[in-house]
Amino acid sequence: MHSSELLKGTLQTILLKVLKDNGKMYGYEITQRVKELSAGSILLTEGALYPTLHRLEAEGLLKTDTVMLGKRVRKYYTLTPEGKSTVKERVSEFVEFIKTMGNILQVETY
Amino acid sequence: MNNLTSDNIAYIIKDLNYRGIVAEGIHEELIDHICSATEAEMVKGKKFIDAYHHVLKSFGHTAGLRQTQKQILQSENQKSAIMLKNYLTIAFRNLKKQGFYSFINIGGLAVGVAACLVIVLFIIDELSFDKFNTRANRIYRVNHEIKFGGNHMLMNTSSAPTASALQQDYPEIEATVRFRDYGSYLVKTAEGRESIKEQNVIWTDSTFFKIFSVNVLLGDPKTALREPASVAISRRTADKYFPYGNALGQSLILDSKYNAKVTAVYENIPSTSHFHFDILISMVGDWPVAKEAQSTVFLSNNFPTYLLLKEGVKAKELNNKLGGYLAKYVGPQLAQALGNDFTMEKFKAAGNKYEISLMRLLDIHLHSNFKGEFEPNGNIAYIYLFGTIALFILVIACINFMNLSTARSSNRAKEVGVRKVMGSLRSHLVRQFLTESTLVTIFSFVVALGLAYLFLPFFNNLSLKRLHLPLTDPALYMILFVAALVIGLMAGLYPSFFLSAFKPVNVLKGHVALGMKSGFIRSTLVVFQFVISIFLIIGAITVNRQLNYIQSKKLGFEKDQVLLIKDAYALRPNVQSFRNEALKIGSVESCTISGFLPVEGSSEISRHDNTFWKEGKQPNPDNLVSLQDWRVDNDYINTFKMNVKKGRGFNSEFLSDSSAVVLNEAAIKQFGLGDDPIGKKISTFGGERPDGSPDPNQIESWTVIGVVEDFHFSSMKENILSLGLFLRKSDGFISIRINGNNSQETIQSLEKIWKQLAPGQPFQYSFLDEDFGQMYASEQRLGQIFGAFAGLAIIIACLGLFALTAFTAEQRTKEIGIRKVLGASVSSIVILLSKEFGKLIIIAFVVAVPIAWLGVDWWLKSYTYKTEIGGLVYLFAGLLTFAIAWITVGYQSIKAATSDPVRSLKNE
Repeated sequence: MHSSELLKGTLQTILLKVLKDNGKMYGYEITQRVKELSAGSILLTEGALYPTLHRLEAEGLLKTDTVMLGKRVRKYYTLTPEGKSTVKERVSEFVEFIKTMGNILQVETY
Repeated sequence: MNNLTSDNIAYIIKDLNYRGIVAEGIHEELIDHICSATEAEMVKGKKFIDAYHHVLKSFGHTAGLRQTQKQILQSENQKSAIMLKNYLTIAFRNLKKQGFYSFINIGGLAVGVAACLVIVLFIIDELSFDKFNTRANRIYRVNHEIKFGGNHMLMNTSSAPTASALQQDYPEIEATVRFRDYGSYLVKTAEGRESIKEQNVIWTDSTFFKIFSVNVLLGDPKTALREPASVAISRRTADKYFPYGNALGQSLILDSKYNAKVTAVYENIPSTSHFHFDILISMVGDWPVAKEAQSTVFLSNNFPTYLLLKEGVKAKELNNKLGGYLAKYVGPQLAQALGNDFTMEKFKAAGNKYEISLMRLLDIHLHSNFKGEFEPNGNIAYIYLFGTIALFILVIACINFMNLSTARSSNRAKEVGVRKVMGSLRSHLVRQFLTESTLVTIFSFVVALGLAYLFLPFFNNLSLKRLHLPLTDPALYMILFVAALVIGLMAGLYPSFFLSAFKPVNVLKGHVALGMKSGFIRSTLVVFQFVISIFLIIGAITVNRQLNYIQSKKLGFEKDQVLLIKDAYALRPNVQSFRNEALKIGSVESCTISGFLPVEGSSEISRHDNTFWKEGKQPNPDNLVSLQDWRVDNDYINTFKMNVKKGRGFNSEFLSDSSAVVLNEAAIKQFGLGDDPIGKKISTFGGERPDGSPDPNQIESWTVIGVVEDFHFSSMKENILSLGLFLRKSDGFISIRINGNNSQETIQSLEKIWKQLAPGQPFQYSFLDEDFGQMYASEQRLGQIFGAFAGLAIIIACLGLFALTAFTAEQRTKEIGIRKVLGASVSSIVILLSKEFGKLIIIAFVVAVPIAWLGVDWWLKSYTYKTEIGGLVYLFAGLLTFAIAWITVGYQSIKAATSDPVRSLKNE
C-alpha cells in the first residue's frame, strides 16, 4: 500500500485519466477500477474520492448525469471538453515530475 | 447486480438518514455507493446486514461518513466568490420558489415604508416653518391674554403703542415691528381698468426687513417703508401688475382711493412661513390705519407685534420683567375705564386676567392657534399623532416581515438540520438568512420609493402642502439604505436565532417544534397590529360623525340658499341701489347688507366687540359684559331666518330703532335682564377722552326691543357668546336669500347689476353653506387622513394575517388530511383554523377599546358642541375588523379544508 501522503497530490490526475479511458463512470465503479489498475495497492477511500470528484466538477472539468434505478439514484461522471484537454497536460506534468524526482533522488525511474 | 431487495435499499436509505447523511448533492451518491459495495460483499457470501456494516466500517462509520459529507460541503463553499454568489443564488431561488409569500412580504413592507416616508416628509416640512429667517432664534411675538366680562381671549395682538413702549423701557430689545391686518384690498395700477382682489395685504413698520429675512430684489430695504403711502410688493405681485418688470416707482391704487408708490420688490415669501404677505403698506402718514398706529390707547389690541432681541438675551428673563410694562402703561388706563376704585389686585382677585408674554417665532406655526392669526396654523398634536401613526405602520410592516420570514424558515428545517449537523457551519446558516432578508428589504425599499412618489400628490391634496421627494439628495438614499440594512438584519437574525434553538435530530426526524415561545411572540404581534387597526377605524368614524353632526346641527339660522357677495363697499355710493335692483329679481327673496356674517372665515368677515353694562348701575368689573357688537340692517334677521323669541326684530317704521338693540339669549342671561327684557336698556361708553381712554361722561344707552334665539356664528368648539344686533351701516357683504333652483341665472342677473353700478370692480360671490363647510375644512381633512391610514393599517395587517394563515394551513396539511379522513366536515375544519385568530382579534378588541375611548374623549373635549360616540361605534369597529380578518383567514382555511386528503397524506 502506498502511503496516503504520496497519494494526495495525485488523486485528481488519477481520476481524470481513469475517466478519460473509461468514458462514463459512477463513484463505486471508479474505486473498483483504481483498485484493479493498481493491483490492490491503492484503495481509494470514499472520504477522498467524493470531495475530489466534486471539486473537479466545480472547476468545470467534469459533468454529471443522474440516472434513477428504482429507489437508488446513480450519478455518472464524464469529462467535459475542457477536462479532456487538461488530462494530457496533467499526465505529462506528472511524468516530468517523476523524471525530476529521479534525478534528485539519484535513482532510476522507468 | 440487483441482489439488494427493495426493503434492503429502503433500510440503507433510512439508516444513512439517521446517521445524518442528508446533504443534497452528496447523499444520493453515497447511498448508491454503499448499496453497490454492500452488494459486492453479499456476493462474497455475507448476509445483508453484515455486508452493510462491513461497508460502513470501511467508510469510518457514522463519524467517517459525516466527515466526508462535511468535507464535500466545505470544499464547495470555500471559494469566497462562489460563496457570496451561492448565497445570492440560493436566496433568489428561494424567493422565486416562494413567490407568493415573497410578494406579500415585499408588498407589505413597501407599503409600510412608503407611508412612513410620506409622513416623515410632512413632519419635516411642518417643523421647518419660519426657519428661513436667519435671526429666527431672536424673534418673539408679544401675546396677550385677557380674561374679562365673560370673555377669555388669547390674542396674537398687542396695542398700537406697545412696541415703542417696550423698546423704550427694555434695552434687551433690538428692534420691533407691528402689523395691522385690514382684510383684503381691491388693487389696480394707475392705468388699469379692472381691480383685482388681493388677500395678502398688510400694514407694517419700516423695520420689517430688519427683522425678517425677506430678500429685497429692488429698492432699499432700509428706507422702503419709511415714507407714507409706500408699498413693498412681492415678486409675483410685481409680475402680476407690472409684467414688463418696471415696478419700482410705479403706483398701485388700493380700494380706488389710496394711491401708493411701489418702493421695493421682495422675493416671494417661502411656503414654510406663518405669513405670506404680497403687499406691505407703510404704517406712517395720514391714512386711517397709519393714524390708528399712532394711538396711545393701551387697551385696544389690534396690532400683532414682534420683537427682535439682542444677542445673548434670555427671553425668559425679559418675560418676567414685563409685569412692569403692564403696571406702567396698562394699569392706569384700565383704572380710568373701569372706575376709581380699580386696582390690579382687585381686578385679578375677581378672576380677571390681563397678561402679556413672549412667544418664540419658531413656535408659532405649531403652537399658536389664537384668534386673528395671519393664516390657519398647524398643530403640534397632529405632528405627534402622525408621527406615532407612521411609527406604528412601520412597526407593523416590519413585524409582519419578521413573522413571515420566521414562519417560512421553519419550512427549510431540513436544510437547517443539515447545516446544524455541520456544527461549525452554523454561521453559514445565519449568513444565508441575513443575505435573503437584506435582499428582500432593499428591494422593498426601492418599491417603497416608487409608491411614495405615486402617492405624494394625493397626500398633498389632503394636507394642502407641496411636499416632494428629495430625489437628488444623496442623504435620502443613504438613510434609506441604512434603514433597509438595519431592518433586513433584524428580520434575518430573528429567524436564524430562533431556528438555532432546534435540536438537529428533531429537525431531521421531522418534528419541527415551533415552540411555545415563538408562537406567543407571533400571536402578540398579530394582536398588536389589530389593536392599531381598530383604534384607527374608531378614530375615522368619530371624526366623520362629528362632521356630520356639525353639518346637520340646527344653527339658529338657515344657511342654505344664501348667496354672499363680497366687498360690497366697492359699490359705494350705489350700495342701496344695488339692493333695490336685486330685489326686483324674481328669485331673490330678501337681501341684507352687513359685514357681519354668522360664519367664521377670512378676516373680511367682521367681528367687533364692545363692553356694555345694564343701564342704571355704575360700570365696574363685576357687571361689565363683553358683547359682540354687530352692525346690521332691517332685513338681516329675515334674510338669515333667525328666530325672534321675544319682542320683535328691526323695523323701518320705527324711527327709534336707531337706538335699539336685539340681543341673543346668551346676552340676556349675562346681563341678568330676566324674563321680560323688552324695554330694558344697556349702556356703553360713547366716546374717548383726549388721551384715548373711555370717557365716563359720555354714555350711550340702547333699548332692548327683541331677543333672538342663540345662533352659532363661530366654530362649534366654542360656546355661543353674548351678541347684540345694532342698526348701523356696515357694507362688507350683501347677503341674498334665493329661492328656486336656478341659482346660475340669478347670479348672472346680479352680476349684470354689479357691472353697471361698480364697473371695473371684481364681482365675487360664494354660498353661505359652502363657507360654513370651510370652517370645518381641517376636520374634514383630518377625517380623510384618518380614514386613509386606517385603511392602510388594515391592509398591512391583513396581508400579514393572510400569509401567516396560508403558512399555518400548509404546516397542518397532514393534520387536516387526517381529520378529513376521520370524517370532519369542511366547516368544522374552517372553524378550527380560524378559531385561533378569532381569539386574537377579540383580545385586540378588548385592548383597543379603552385606548380608543381615551383618544375620542380627548379630541371631542375641544368641542363645546359634540356628537355622541356610543358603544355601537366601538362594536361596529370591532365587528368590521373581525369580518375583514375572517375573510382573510377564511379563504385560506376553506382552501385547506377542501383539499384532497389523500394527496396531503400521500405527500408525506
